[in-house]
Amino acid sequence: MSLWVDKHRPSQLHKLDYHKQQAANLKKLIASGDLPHLLVYGPSGAGKKTRITCILRELYGAGAEKLRIEQSHFTTPSNKKIEISTIASNYHIEVNPSDVGNNDRIVIQELIKNLAQVNQLDSSSQKEFKVVVLTEVDRLTKDAQHGLRRTMEKYMATCRLILCCNSTSKVIPAIRSRCLGVRVAAPSEEEIAQILQNVCKKEGCTLPAELAKRIANKSNRNLRRALLMCEACKVQQYPFSADQTISEPDWEIYLRDTATMIVQQQSPKRLLEVRARLYELLTHCIPADVIIKGLLQELLANCDGQLKTEVVQAAAYYDHRLQIGQKAIYHLEAFVAKFMAIYKQFLDEGMADFF
Amino acid sequence: MDEYIFEAEFADELEALADFEDDYPENTSYCKSKKALNFETPKSKNSHAKENGIKSKENDFNDSLLEPLVSPECIPNGSLLRSKGDKSNKRCRVEEFEDFSGDSEDEDISCSKIDTEPEIEPLSKRQRLHDLTPQKPLSVSKSSSGKKQQEKDTEDDNVFDPEFLKATAIADDIIKRRNQTKTFTKSTEIVSEISNVKRLLSVRPSGNFFNVTNTNGNRFYVKIKDEDKFEREIQDVCRNKRITGLLSVPYSVLKHQVEQERQNKIIEEARKITDEINREIDNDLGLDFDNVPETLTEPQKYLWVEKYAPRRYTELLSEEAINRTLLHWIKLWDHVVFGKELPSKHVKDKKKQKEVKKWKKLPELTDELDKFNRPLYKVVLLCGPPGLGKTTLAQIVASHAGYNVVEMNASDDRSAEVFKNKVEAATQMKSVIEADPRPNCLVIDEIDGAPQPAINILLNLIKRTDVPLLGKKKKEEGDVLLRPIICICNDQYVTSLRQLRQLALILSFPQTESTRLASRLYEVIRHEHIKGDMNALLALCERTDNDIRSCLNTLQFVRQNRKELTVQSIQGMSIGQKDAHRSLFATWYEIFTMPRAKQNRFMNVRDMSESDKKKTVNSTTPGVRFQNILMVAQAAGEYDKIRQGLFENYLEAKSKDPHLLALNLANEWIGFTDLIQKYTNHSQDYSVMKYVPFLPVTFHLLYASYNPPRIQYPHTQFEIKTKETKSINLIESMMADMLPSVRRFVNQPAMVMDVIPPLLDIMQPSLRPVNTQLYSQREKDEMSNLIRIMIAYNMTYRQEKQEDGQYNYTIEPKIDEIVKFPGMKQHRQLTYAAKQLIAREIDLEKMRRYEARFTAIDSSEKTSGVTSRHITGEKNNDNTSSGPSVPNHLQTLQAKPLQDKRAVNFFSNFTRIKREVRPEKLQEEREEKKSEILATDIWFHFKEGFSNAVRRNVKIQDLL
Repeated sequence: MSLWVDKHRPSQLHKLDYHKQQAANLKKLIASGDLPHLLVYGPSGAGKKTRITCILRELYGAGAEKLRIEQSHFTTPSNKKIEISTIASNYHIEVNPSDVGNNDRIVIQELIKNLAQVNQLDSSSQKEFKVVVLTEVDRLTKDAQHGLRRTMEKYMATCRLILCCNSTSKVIPAIRSRCLGVRVAAPSEEEIAQILQNVCKKEGCTLPAELAKRIANKSNRNLRRALLMCEACKVQQYPFSADQTISEPDWEIYLRDTATMIVQQQSPKRLLEVRARLYELLTHCIPADVIIKGLLQELLANCDGQLKTEVVQAAAYYDHRLQIGQKAIYHLEAFVAKFMAIYKQFLDEGMADFF
Repeated sequence: MDEYIFEAEFADELEALADFEDDYPENTSYCKSKKALNFETPKSKNSHAKENGIKSKENDFNDSLLEPLVSPECIPNGSLLRSKGDKSNKRCRVEEFEDFSGDSEDEDISCSKIDTEPEIEPLSKRQRLHDLTPQKPLSVSKSSSGKKQQEKDTEDDNVFDPEFLKATAIADDIIKRRNQTKTFTKSTEIVSEISNVKRLLSVRPSGNFFNVTNTNGNRFYVKIKDEDKFEREIQDVCRNKRITGLLSVPYSVLKHQVEQERQNKIIEEARKITDEINREIDNDLGLDFDNVPETLTEPQKYLWVEKYAPRRYTELLSEEAINRTLLHWIKLWDHVVFGKELPSKHVKDKKKQKEVKKWKKLPELTDELDKFNRPLYKVVLLCGPPGLGKTTLAQIVASHAGYNVVEMNASDDRSAEVFKNKVEAATQMKSVIEADPRPNCLVIDEIDGAPQPAINILLNLIKRTDVPLLGKKKKEEGDVLLRPIICICNDQYVTSLRQLRQLALILSFPQTESTRLASRLYEVIRHEHIKGDMNALLALCERTDNDIRSCLNTLQFVRQNRKELTVQSIQGMSIGQKDAHRSLFATWYEIFTMPRAKQNRFMNVRDMSESDKKKTVNSTTPGVRFQNILMVAQAAGEYDKIRQGLFENYLEAKSKDPHLLALNLANEWIGFTDLIQKYTNHSQDYSVMKYVPFLPVTFHLLYASYNPPRIQYPHTQFEIKTKETKSINLIESMMADMLPSVRRFVNQPAMVMDVIPPLLDIMQPSLRPVNTQLYSQREKDEMSNLIRIMIAYNMTYRQEKQEDGQYNYTIEPKIDEIVKFPGMKQHRQLTYAAKQLIAREIDLEKMRRYEARFTAIDSSEKTSGVTSRHITGEKNNDNTSSGPSVPNHLQTLQAKPLQDKRAVNFFSNFTRIKREVRPEKLQEEREEKKSEILATDIWFHFKEGFSNAVRRNVKIQDLL
C-alpha cells in the first residue's frame, strides 16, 4: 500500500493530474445519471485503471473502494472446471477473463448473467445498475467477444460494462460500436516530471528537476514506471543528486545488448546466439511484440534514411506475422535474419562505394 | 576351402567357444546333448545292425533266389529283368547297398536310420515270405521267380490301401493255385502248369522251345515264352480284370502313385532328419560347415528364410559384439540354472577388460551376481528393425547354452492371465515327459505389442526378490525368477516397455553389414543355381535396408520365376518398399545430407519409373532430390517436430550464403508453415496442410551438405515452454494473494515489465545492522514502510538451504528469478540479518492485521445494528485501510460501575437479584452481564474445587 505509485494514486476524478478535460467530461456524464458502456483504452501506465476507479468512486461513493477477492467457479459444457478470481465491491466486479485462456467465453457469459440478473436492492439511494469491469479485452478470444455483444444489450438495465484494453484493434467492431470510447493517452514527459515533483513534495523530499526529467524520459511515458523508478532512486540514494544513476529493468538492458549484437555481426552463428537471448527474454514473460518493438528501436538507431524505412517495413511485416502466428520465436528470428540481410547488404554496398 | 575362410573369419568366435568349453568342462547341458546323441546313434546303429543282420540274411536268401536268374542260360532275360525291373526293385537294391555302406560311414546314419522305420513293419511279412519260399522248389522257373519278386515288392510296399491289399490277395491266389498244381519235378511242374494253360504243343513250334518227353514216350514241345511277354500277359490279365470294374483306377496307376508317394515321403523324412541331426551336430560340435541341403528340382516347400536360417552360433550375421554379450549374459545364468561355478575371477577380469576395450558402446555387462546367484540383469531386451535376425539370435544362443527354447509371440494369446500362466510355466517348470530334459529359456517375441498388464506381470516376476519364509506366502507369490528371459521388440520406446527398459539389458541391433549379408546371399544363390553377381546382391541389400528376411524372400521369388538376378531387375522390383516409419533423426539427417551419387545408385523405383529409365538415375539432380525429400517428409509426418528439428539445427549447417538470402528464405518458410499450422489447428481445416512438407524440401535445397550433420534433438522449445510456464505460475501465485487494492491496478505483463524490477530495488533499503530498538525514527518508518509494501505485494523472505549447505533468505515467491537475466549485474542484496529481521517483522505484521480484522469484526458486532449497511462498510474500509484506530492492547481499561452490586455477601447478592428480577428479565440481564464480563480483560469465574479459577485473556500481540 505504501509504494508511492499506490499511495498517491488519485481516487477522485477531480484530483486527476492530466487529461483534466476528459475527467471533467466523465464527471458530467456520470452526473447526468446514466452511463453508457465504456471502452477505456490506452497504453500501459497511462492511468486507465486509475480513471476507472475514479469513475466507480464517482458513481458509488467510497463504498466502491471496499474490495474483496472472490473465487468464481464455472463449468464448461465439456465438464471442465475453471476457476477465476475476481475483485469485487458491493457495486461492481472486476475480472480479467483472459486468465482462463480459451474458456473465457463461459466466464463472460456466466459471470455477467449472474450479476445482471439481480437488481440492485435499494435503487433509491444508489444507481440502479452494477458495473462489470473487464480488463485486457484485447486478449479475449473472438468467441468471447461475440458472446459479449448480445449480453451488453440484453442486460443494459441492470449492468454496465467498462472494458479496458491497450488497443482497440483487437476488439471487434460490434463491441466498439456499443461502447463509448475513452482514450487515455500516455502522459507527456513534462506531465510525468510534474507528477514526480508533486509526489516527492508530498513525501517530504526534494527532487531535482533535472532528475525528474531524466526519469520521465527513461520511463517511456509510463507513469507507473516513472513513479516506481523514482522511488527506487530514492531508496538507492537520498538525498537525490541530479546525475544519479537510474536503474533500468534488466530486460531492457538485455534487449538492448541483443540489438547491439545483431548490429555488430551478421552471420548464422550470431543468429544462433541471438536466438538464445530471445528465448531468454520469452521465458522471462516479456511479450514478443515488446521484444520486436524494443529491437526495432535499437536497430533503427544504427540505420539511416532509406534503410530505416526498409527495416521498419520488415518489422511491421514480422510483427503482423507474430500476431497471427503461433510460435513467437520463429517470427522473431525471421525478423532478426531479415534485418541482418538488409544491413549486411547495406554494409557491403557501402564498402563497395568506399573502394 | 570354405572352411578355411570361415575359420579365419570366425577365429574370434571359435576362440570364445573354445573358451566356454574350457571354462565349463563338465557342462551338463553340453554333455547331455552330446550324450543324447551318443546314446542315440549307437543305439540306432545297433538296432540297425540287427536289422541289417536279418535283412542281410534275407538279402542273401533273395540273392540265392535270384541266383538262377543269372545263370548263363538266361542271361539276356535275367539282365532284362534286372534292367526292366520296376523302380521299387531298384530302390530295394539301392537300399541294400546303403545298408552295407552305412555301417561304416557316419554321414549315412541318417539314411540307415530312415530305413529302420519302414523296415519294421514289412519284416513280419517278409518273415512270412521266408516261410513261404522254401516250400517252393529251389529251381523255380524264371517266370515264377520274377513273379515272386514282384510279390515281394508289393508286399514290401508299406501301403495299406484296401485296393492294394486286394491286389496282393489276387497275387497270392495265383501262387496258391500254382502251388496246388506243382507235383513232380521242375519240368513237370512247368508242364502241368503249362498244360493247365494249354500250352503243351505236339507240333514243333516256332521260336524258342524245348522238348519234353512224357513217361509215355510222347514228345511235347514246350514253348519258351519270353519272360517279358509273360509278365506283360499277366499284366494284361490284371488289367483286364481291372477293366471289369473292381477298381476305378487301374492297379498299375495306383501302384505307381503309391510308390511315388512313398518315395517322396521317405525323401522328405530323410531330409528332415538330416537337418535335425545336422543341427544337433552343429550345435554341439560347431565344426563342419557344409550343411546346406542339396537343391531339389521340385517346387520348394520351405521358405528360404527357414532353409537358410543360421543353425549355429558362428553362422549368425548379426554383429559379433551383440552376439557375444548375449551369450555372455546367458552363460551367467549357468550358476543358478546348472549349478556351475563361474570360472575364477582373474581370468574373467582379464577377459572383461579386453571386452570393454573392444566394445565400449555396448552396455557393460558385469559378472556380478545377486543373492540368488542370478545376473544383475534378469532380462535381455533385443531391439531393432525387422529382418535383422533377432529371433534367430535368441534361439541359437539359448540352445547353444543348453536351454530348451520356449517361444511366445504375438500369435499367442497375451492377455494378462494367459500370459502369467505361460510365463510361470516356462520359467518354473521343466518338461518331464518329453525326451528333452534341458531347462527352459523363455523367448518373448514381439513384446512391444503386448498389453501393459502382461508386461506388468513380467515386471513383477523380475522384481520379485525375496522369497518369504512362510510357505503360504510363497505359494501365493510364486518363486523368484530362476530362468533367463529374452525379450524381443522392434521399438524399444513403446510406452508399455518403459519400465522394462530400466530393468533389462538392452541390446539394440545395428544394421547388418551389407557386404556380409551380400556374401551370405551369394552362397545361397550359388546353392540354388541362380545366376547373379555380387553387385546385384549389394543392390538388393540396399533396397531392402539390409533386411535379411526380405532379401531371402526376394531371392526365392526370383528363383521361382527362373529369372536372372541383375541390378536392373532388382531396381525394377517393388520390394523393400517398406513404408518404414523412419525415425525423426533419420529424416533430419536425410534433409541435411547431400545425396551421394554412389550411395544412391539403387534409388527409388518411383523415380525410375517416372523419369527416363534408360538415363542413369542421378540422385544428385535437384529434381530427384526434391522428389526424394518430399517423399521422406511426407512419410515421416510429425511436421511440427520436424520443423522444430530443422529450426534448431539449420544454423549449424554449413552453407555458402554471403548475403544471408538463404537464411531469409528459410525463415520465411518457417514463418509460413507456422501460420499454416495455426490456421489448421484453429479452424480444423487441413486443406492447406499439403504445403507444409515443402518446408523440409526448402531446407534440403538450401542446407544439404556432404559433411555429416550433427543433429540434436529439438528439446529447446519444450524447455522454454516449461520455463515460461514456471515464470507465469510464479507471477500468478504472487498476484493471487496481493491486496485487492493493489492488484486491481496491475496485470501480468505490467508486473513483469514495470513493477517488479524497480520493486526489487525499493525492497533493499540500507538498514543498519543493529538492533531495531536502536533505529532512528526515520529508519523505523522506512522499515515499517518496507514491510507494508512487501505485504501488499505478497512477498516475504523465507529461509532456504542452499546447495552449498548454507542457509539464506530468499524472496518468496521467487520473483527475482523472473526479472534477472544472465550476465546482468547483480542487484544489491540485503544482509542475512536484515532479511531475517524483515521476515520476522512481516510475520508479526501479518498476525497483527489478522487480529485487527477480527477485532474490527468484533467491534462492528458490538455496535448496534441501527446504522445502515453503507456506514458499516465505510467504517470497515477505514479500518482496513489504515489499521485499527485504537489497537486492542492500547485501549484503556475503564472501571466498571459496580454501584448496584455492593453486597457484602457475594452469594446473597445473587439471591437478591434473583428475587428482584422477573425470570425473563433476569435472563437478559444475565447475558448482558456475562458479555460485559467477557469483554473485560480480567475476569474470573468461580469454580468449586478448582485452583485455576482465575482466567485472563492473553493475546498474541502481548507476547510478541
